[in-house]
Amino acid sequence: MIERIRNYGIVGVFGLLFVVLAFTSPSFLSLQNGANILDQSSVLLILAATTTVCIIAGIFDLSIAAVATASAIMTVNAINAVGLLGGVILGVLFGGLLGLITGVAITKTNVNSFIGTLAASFTYRGLGLILAAGGLVTIENEQSAQTLRDVMEGKYLGLKGAVWIAIGFVILVGVVLAYTVWGKKVYAVGGNWQAARLAGIRSNRVLISCYVLSGIGAGVAGVIYAGRYGTGATNAYPDSYAFTAIAATVVGGVSIFGGSGAVWRGTLGILTFALIGNGLNLLGVDTTYQQTILGLLIFAAVAADQVFRRKSA
Amino acid sequence: MTASTAVVSVRDMVKSFGATRAVRGVTLEIPRGSIFGLVGENGAGKSTLAKLMAGIESPDSGVLTISGREQSLRDPHEGIKAGVSMMAQEIMLVPDATVEQNVLLGSMPRRGPFPNRKEMRRRYAELVELTEFDLDPKAKVGGLRVADQQKVEIMRALSQDADMIIMDEPSAALTTDEVERLHHSIREIARRGSTVLLISHFLEEVLALTDHVAIMRDGELVRVGPTSGETVDTLVASMVGRALDTDYHEPKPQADGPVRLSVSHLTRTGILDDVSFDIRQGEILGLAGLIGSGRSEIARCIFGADSFDSGEILIDGEPVRPSSPHDAIGQGMFMVPESRKEQGLVLGSSISDNLLLATHRQRSVGGWVSKRTQWAVAAKLAESVDLRFNSVKQAVGSLSGGNQQKVLFGRAAEVDPRVLIVDEPTRGVDIAAKRAIHETLEEMAASGMAVLFISSELEEVLGVCSRVLVIHRGRVQAEFKAPYDEEKVISAFFGQSGLPHD
Repeated sequence: MIERIRNYGIVGVFGLLFVVLAFTSPSFLSLQNGANILDQSSVLLILAATTTVCIIAGIFDLSIAAVATASAIMTVNAINAVGLLGGVILGVLFGGLLGLITGVAITKTNVNSFIGTLAASFTYRGLGLILAAGGLVTIENEQSAQTLRDVMEGKYLGLKGAVWIAIGFVILVGVVLAYTVWGKKVYAVGGNWQAARLAGIRSNRVLISCYVLSGIGAGVAGVIYAGRYGTGATNAYPDSYAFTAIAATVVGGVSIFGGSGAVWRGTLGILTFALIGNGLNLLGVDTTYQQTILGLLIFAAVAADQVFRRKSA
Repeated sequence: MTASTAVVSVRDMVKSFGATRAVRGVTLEIPRGSIFGLVGENGAGKSTLAKLMAGIESPDSGVLTISGREQSLRDPHEGIKAGVSMMAQEIMLVPDATVEQNVLLGSMPRRGPFPNRKEMRRRYAELVELTEFDLDPKAKVGGLRVADQQKVEIMRALSQDADMIIMDEPSAALTTDEVERLHHSIREIARRGSTVLLISHFLEEVLALTDHVAIMRDGELVRVGPTSGETVDTLVASMVGRALDTDYHEPKPQADGPVRLSVSHLTRTGILDDVSFDIRQGEILGLAGLIGSGRSEIARCIFGADSFDSGEILIDGEPVRPSSPHDAIGQGMFMVPESRKEQGLVLGSSISDNLLLATHRQRSVGGWVSKRTQWAVAAKLAESVDLRFNSVKQAVGSLSGGNQQKVLFGRAAEVDPRVLIVDEPTRGVDIAAKRAIHETLEEMAASGMAVLFISSELEEVLGVCSRVLVIHRGRVQAEFKAPYDEEKVISAFFGQSGLPHD
């Protein structure tokens, strides 16, 4: 029973919220409101997907917000240097490169990922500051800025481009994690690093690949920012993005002990957060309470995980 | 037996974990001052029953009485207060604290809010006198060998002045000499009026030590009675529910195929010193020796899990030097590691994922895995190693120890290496599973593998292998061939040379 609550509790919570909001707020069920919720969540959906992969592999990446910020700045600089398409590609790759550096540094030195990525986070924020020459960079070519804004903000089948990018990214990561050899390795390394190594899995490489994926996700988030605003700013993504992604993953039912979970859980976690925020707004509840409610929900999810662990031990 | 003479009694105890009914209505009385044996195959429910008595688990239903008073224990602390303390099967110590601190952890003598160091030292000395364990009280527990950590556990259980001490497989990781000292302390505890509940796979130990013995099977009590009327055969027959001869079959004649694995002058400074040996195709070579003698280190160096300083490894005449297990597998080796839980299995993952852990790549189509193919392959593998399971999608952690070990052998069969290293493949495994594992090993050797077999249980090594090397302090102390002179083999454990090794 407890196992079932842990595994599917979030689905129930989400469903309940949905139904309650549908009955209490007339504007909730409108397509416009749904599109708004997704639009506000698009970057977090991407970050929660890669965070889920990291947590399944047994690591935390706290640097994603800093990487996303640095990538936004890098994207703008690169567009100014080599043009739109090359700039966008370089922006995403830059995120991956930062992830690679983090991953190699952490696995080589055997530093705890929590502390290691915290340090990386400071470093990459500093790097962003350097790349932005202390403040803000802007896409100089009006044409390029407009094109990228159209891609991100333009509506396709009722949803903004950024939302479609997020949906595509989440599905891709989810499918790859669930159906590839690499995915199997991620679960094995997170479940038992030592056993995976002795079964011939290059555990550290798998971990590094997770950091790289995490960096790429952050890179995509950076490009989205550059597209939306035509600028790269040192405060593009505050660190709360990283914390929210981790919290959503846990609320979605991914065990913080690693080795189990799925990408849809992080997605559902983010959507639950969005529903709570959106619902409370529509119902006119004071925003002061929102953080508290989210905090309690996160705690309940972690507690359920812990209780389940003890029962099954 | 009246309630006043029973230190602990249980009535109609029931405990389930999910769908698994671990204890199904057990009624049992343990007489005060006895050494009480509890035996059964792995998964029979012995440990669970003991945990119910110590408050580590709470029963679904049933009555627990300790020293005449009904108890409903909520945690181990309440168990200790009621007079029952349990030494766990898995080691549960604080690695960064000293031996002395760990021993007195639950019963720290105090002066006001501060620990009373003088009293600590006195209590510790008392325990040393009782057990004759010679450990440095100031040493950090995390740096000790497993056998020494276990001594700390024993001393801690003793320090709690319990009416009954439960010991779950206390001798599994101890050397012969240490086992004797353990037995001495168990007798001493009983002589002082406390009761010992001993759970053990070593039936000789149970026969030699206990005055009563209870046998469990599938969560139920088969029978209970005085130990004096029992033999290994009668116990085994009740444990497995059928007669099973416990003798190992005759060892095979010496292998005469070509040399498959050749190790020469393997040296790792301070750990291994000039280790050389050959294994032929189809041969199972035994590595025996005390825990800490370097047996596992030899295996880990060959398999690329640890590095070594000098030496040469040849497989089928070709030099190999694996820098990682990944490398070693690519060169035709595989290892079933020493500790299945820490090093072998991903406990939360399915049987299927565990069986295919080393071969997902080979079973994939361009990196994509098909669950259907996996399940089919896994089911076949599971069958080939005689695994007892419900579904290959079941978590491997829900299997009993013996079946978990079989999963590792299934993985090895799937890798199909030229050289197979197995380290303690039957530790904590019941007799039927042990038998199945030996048969699997023999089949694998018969298919042409060279097998390096490491075990702490001498009977087993001698029964399975036609040739045995004894390792002592990182060196090959002696080599023996069947038929064995057991005394000579044992004396080699302690550094006496047997036949000169060539």
